[in-house]
Amino acid sequence: MARVTFRNVWKKYGEFAAVKDLNIDCPDGSFLSILGPSGCGKSSTMRMVAGLEHISAGDILFDDRRINDLAPKDRDVAMVFENYALYPHKSVFENMANPLKLRGQEGARIKDRVTQAAKLLEIGHLLERRPQELSGGQKQRVAIGRAIVREPKLFLFDEPIAHLDAKLRAHMRGEIKHMQRTLGTTMVYVTHDQLEAMSMADQIAVMHEGELQQLGSPREVYNKPVNAWVAGFVGEPAMNFLTCEITNAGGKLMLTHPDFALALKPEQMKCLNGAGTAATVRMGVRPDALAISMTRPAEPAITGKVFVNELLGGDMIVEVELADARIRVKTAPEFAGAPGEACYVTVNRDKWHAFDAVTGKAFF
Amino acid sequence: MTDTLLSPEPSLRQSEGLFRVRQLLDNVEARPAPSLIAEPAKLNPPPSKAYFFWLMAPAILLLACISLYPFFWMIYMSLHDVEIGSATWNNFENFTRLVTDTRYLKGWTLLFQYSLMCLALQIGIGVFLAVVLNGSRFEKILVTTLLMPMMMAPIVAGLVWYFLYNGTFGWYHWLFQSVGLLDAKSILASPGTAMLGIVLVDVWQWTPLITLITLAGLKRVPQDQLEANMVDGASPLRNFFSITLPNLYPVLLIAVMLRFMDNFRFIDSALVLTGGGPGNATKILPIYLFEVSFKFFKLGRGAAIALTLLVVTIILGMILVKVFDRQQTRKS
Amino acid sequence: MASRDVVRYETPLTRGFRWFSAVFIALYLVWTLLPIFVMFVSSFKDLLEAFKIPAVGDWSGIGVFFDFTPTLKHYRDLFLNLDFSRYMANSLVAAGGSAVISVILGSMAAYSLSRIDFKGKSDLFFWIISTRMAPVVAVMVPLYAIFRSLDLVGTLPGLILAYTTFNLPFAIWILKGFFDNVPYAIEEAQMVDGATRFQAFMAILPLVAPGIGAFIVLCILFAWNDFLFAAIIGSGGAKTLPVATRELVQPQNIQWGSIMAAGVVTTLPMMLLGLVIRRYLVTGLTMGAVKE
Repeated sequence: MARVTFRNVWKKYGEFAAVKDLNIDCPDGSFLSILGPSGCGKSSTMRMVAGLEHISAGDILFDDRRINDLAPKDRDVAMVFENYALYPHKSVFENMANPLKLRGQEGARIKDRVTQAAKLLEIGHLLERRPQELSGGQKQRVAIGRAIVREPKLFLFDEPIAHLDAKLRAHMRGEIKHMQRTLGTTMVYVTHDQLEAMSMADQIAVMHEGELQQLGSPREVYNKPVNAWVAGFVGEPAMNFLTCEITNAGGKLMLTHPDFALALKPEQMKCLNGAGTAATVRMGVRPDALAISMTRPAEPAITGKVFVNELLGGDMIVEVELADARIRVKTAPEFAGAPGEACYVTVNRDKWHAFDAVTGKAFF
Repeated sequence: MTDTLLSPEPSLRQSEGLFRVRQLLDNVEARPAPSLIAEPAKLNPPPSKAYFFWLMAPAILLLACISLYPFFWMIYMSLHDVEIGSATWNNFENFTRLVTDTRYLKGWTLLFQYSLMCLALQIGIGVFLAVVLNGSRFEKILVTTLLMPMMMAPIVAGLVWYFLYNGTFGWYHWLFQSVGLLDAKSILASPGTAMLGIVLVDVWQWTPLITLITLAGLKRVPQDQLEANMVDGASPLRNFFSITLPNLYPVLLIAVMLRFMDNFRFIDSALVLTGGGPGNATKILPIYLFEVSFKFFKLGRGAAIALTLLVVTIILGMILVKVFDRQQTRKS
Repeated sequence: MASRDVVRYETPLTRGFRWFSAVFIALYLVWTLLPIFVMFVSSFKDLLEAFKIPAVGDWSGIGVFFDFTPTLKHYRDLFLNLDFSRYMANSLVAAGGSAVISVILGSMAAYSLSRIDFKGKSDLFFWIISTRMAPVVAVMVPLYAIFRSLDLVGTLPGLILAYTTFNLPFAIWILKGFFDNVPYAIEEAQMVDGATRFQAFMAILPLVAPGIGAFIVLCILFAWNDFLFAAIIGSGGAKTLPVATRELVQPQNIQWGSIMAAGVVTTLPMMLLGLVIRRYLVTGLTMGAVKE
């Protein structure tokens, strides 16, 4: 078990920087998820931890020990690869026994550990099979099994469940999280699926174009995104953005949009201080912070027309057409507005965000 | 203005209707602030590739010793009069003499004539055979049978055919005579037919390779194209010429290049069959080179001839590698 | 799934074509097999019987071909009087030796070439393969000069080295294709599991083993069938089967019976090996350009 620290880490491929000046501290025993779209540098980051990729600049430390120049075998990490990377000519047992064998463990102990791990992953009956005889989910378990047979300092999971079908993915999310909690081993988990990161991690590192955008707990990342990019990337359905003006109405700041106006709360005003008045900001509001009704409510509301309804089982997403924009509202499936009908959308005044229109930086 | 879509990836994946996709195309705004991060002050030392170079080294060094070193030797020799134990600079005379050496020039003509005759017959017969065999009930066993000549040492093939061509007891000679193609003179004995004689041996031995290559190519002709063309109303013959054949061109080109180079490389069977004769009727360039170097021991001139032959082969090789690369990239 | 075969519809034209192709295949088979058959049968014939031939145009006389009493005397002659067992051993050692050296050094180089990128890699690669393309006669003179100065002419090590000139580049070229097809992730997994780089390389060898096996056989085939190198570099001390067979052709006295028997001895093992590696044959003979 180990604490992992990234200190000003860079990954450069020629002139191209895949990872830029990364600083993360991942405490012993915690679950860090690196989240970002493809090409954001998350896999490079993980491969640098594993020793499969050279660290162009900066240091990675395990428990304050610099491991830049250690070969993968000396780092004592276990990794699960995106395509599982099972040895096709070896049985499941041999696949799982490989790390122990390479470390010179004796036969009886190897058998013991493998059987134990297989039991934990419910693949005991598959030990004699070859990888090509397994389903995707089974292969993935074997790959995880190969990682947990020994007690490494660190688990590295590189999109391990990206290739499974949706149902199995949901199931495995729970299992992996449970396993990590049980074993108590530090975990770095790379994914492009924000749902995976949100549901499993203690800390999420959101990356974009090689840069760390935000490091925080899932709650922080969801509720207090540091910029418009993170806000838009995290959350499903995605956040709505509307370009608004801040106007001063007799000492009270108002958020004004051609379709509506919203009074700011005092603490929100404080956050906006630097922006002053008459500045353009981008308002971000999640679909679940909006409410929709077909009758005009008492409080100020945005007027629009129902564009389309999407029923998602327990919820319904309504797309509402404004004068020059479209926003999405999450509501109960009982909502009965037909496309084209006028509707009213109210904003939860505590749950919206303002971003700098130019830099995207969050005011609140 | 909305920009619901900031990150294309998750939303596209969990595609939620056409509208979002359209919005995606409409809204390419909302990027994070441009990066202000300065370049790193100090880079870590680059990783060492020494391990791989060490793995590579023995093979490369050995190859350098047995191919690069002889190559420079060849250049050296080609510029000198080489006697046993001595070499004197002769001012490119080895090369200048080639221009007027009629047997050298004839050697090139004959080499190309030989190669082209071989190729024409091999491609014609080989491709037809492959088309006929493809998908036939007996494909496997027939193809296996066809392989046998290729496994034979060319020198042995040459000897066996020499026996069959023999003017007094050769069965093929008897056959040619019986059907009235030849008179008493063996096919190898008259200048007019000797070339055909050595061509037939090459055709016998290497047509199966063309068949095998073509069969491999045929298996990869896209079935859907054939089907689409058939539904469009094409006859099988037309289908073959408009779909199958164009799809075969790349493999056929490779086959042609390979055979061409092998005709430059190997002279074993021709050496036994005619040794370049009668007269100089089959003295293709490699055989002439063999004579100059190992019969007359004009090593300097031999090296000069060898060099020209080598250059042409390398050019052919470069074309082959290009074709090969193109095929690779198209596949991926 | 769509069926693999295109549906065929019978017309008089296609029926005619079928007949024509059946006849063509039959003729081609005869043409392909006849020389081999004649070689086999003649090796069991006494000299005079081998020369029996019907008169020109006498088609019914073909039967004389089979009119002989089988004898093993040519084979006996080869092995008892002509030292062919030694030539066979020479062939085996020279071909096997160069094949093993080529595949061992070749797989190391091919693996490296497959796994790293460096400046000038494609040039290096082209140089490697061009050494294989070089006409044998062209490189023979300088090679002979060098080998003579090293006292390698007429020795088995010399011949092994000579065969390596064409087998090594061949092995590198083909094996690189094999290693390219092994996902890098498997080695990475090995290394994370605790393997050194070299252990990781060894661990993926089983994945390319069938191919490597087939190419050892192909290298043997190329070397075994070679004549020019053996005749010039190996002449004297390291005579191989093709050279010994060729030497049976003497100006005044061509010993056809022995030649045919020697031909069988030279050819038969290679035909059997060819069947064993049938699956890799096209890839091998086209230098990896065409895959079945």
